[in-house]
Amino acid sequence: MTRIKRGYIARKRRTQIRLFTSSFRGAHSRLTRTISQQKIKALVSANRDRDRKKRGFRGLWIHRINAIIGKNKKKQYNRYSNLLYNMYKGQLLLNRKIVAQMGILKGNCLLMIANEIIT
Amino acid sequence: MALVCGSASVTFPSSSFPRHSHRNTSSSSSSSLVGLQFPFHKLVSLSLSPSSSSNTNARTLRIHSQQQDSSILPPEQDPRFLCVEPEPRFKGPDIWNKTWYPKAADHVNTEKTWYVVDATDKVLGRLASTIAIHIRGKNLETYTPSVDMGAFVIVVNAEKVAVSGKKRTQKLYRRHSGRPGGMKVETFAQLQNRIPERIIEHAVRGMLPKGRLGRRLFTHLKVYEGPDHPHAAQKPIELPIQDKRIYLQR
Repeated sequence: MTRIKRGYIARKRRTQIRLFTSSFRGAHSRLTRTISQQKIKALVSANRDRDRKKRGFRGLWIHRINAIIGKNKKKQYNRYSNLLYNMYKGQLLLNRKIVAQMGILKGNCLLMIANEIIT
Repeated sequence: MALVCGSASVTFPSSSFPRHSHRNTSSSSSSSLVGLQFPFHKLVSLSLSPSSSSNTNARTLRIHSQQQDSSILPPEQDPRFLCVEPEPRFKGPDIWNKTWYPKAADHVNTEKTWYVVDATDKVLGRLASTIAIHIRGKNLETYTPSVDMGAFVIVVNAEKVAVSGKKRTQKLYRRHSGRPGGMKVETFAQLQNRIPERIIEHAVRGMLPKGRLGRRLFTHLKVYEGPDHPHAAQKPIELPIQDKRIYLQR
């Protein structure tokens, strides 16, 4: 068999990976073997956290809704759980994101709705 | 009644027909109603008074309903539509679909609330929990986990904080100097005699997040031994306590 050098194939592949990892900290953007590993870890995290992000935001909205509903002392059962129960009962199909945004941007409107709905 | 008749005759001719026509033209546009300065309610009572003839009664009923039509405000002033945004909505950033994140102006330290709480005869852990919630900002609808949105809390009379049971002699506070054999142990009573502020600080620090932000939040807690504090200029308000079991049950 004739001798075939691989030439610059490996280097071409690794420069692409190095471009991806160019903003990482310390050895993670300088050392070739570490760069390959860190790119894989970064992509794994990104994939997993795209689903986590959805969970995280939903929890944040729920917390914000609970906070503003809890400030409304007029009703006895001023809790997030009560608000959601009464919303489903009254067929008010708002999602938590919009309710949380309403709580921050137009708090009075949300409290008006809550006073109407919560028994 | 006579006064009302007198005022009406001053502003309008006393014959009924010109008065009605004047009212018709005036009620068609709201701007002219604002310009006129005659008292509506008095005219309505005048027109509905039994002294007017039955002919005018029929016409006054029509006018009464027209007056109600004219009381419909334009959408800018109608209280039912105050929360509706003007059309078109899509100029500028989309504030509804992007979850709200605070700008720098939303968490300036100088604009934050200051709370003061007296620790006398309050159970340590429950007090620390309430304080930590207010420092972190978890009671606000603008709560963001990555931003310091909370308030400042001042604790006075820290040496009078209470614990239940035998914790006064049995609860241990440990610290380690880093060297072998360097564990130092103190009971609650001993620490309260030595440095009483450290008890509340230790409790609250355990309830705040651990990290860069948590350390910054901890600096918003101010604990003092006696009843006075040097923060009168910040005008602190009383910390609202929801917990019903925060006072020590004897």
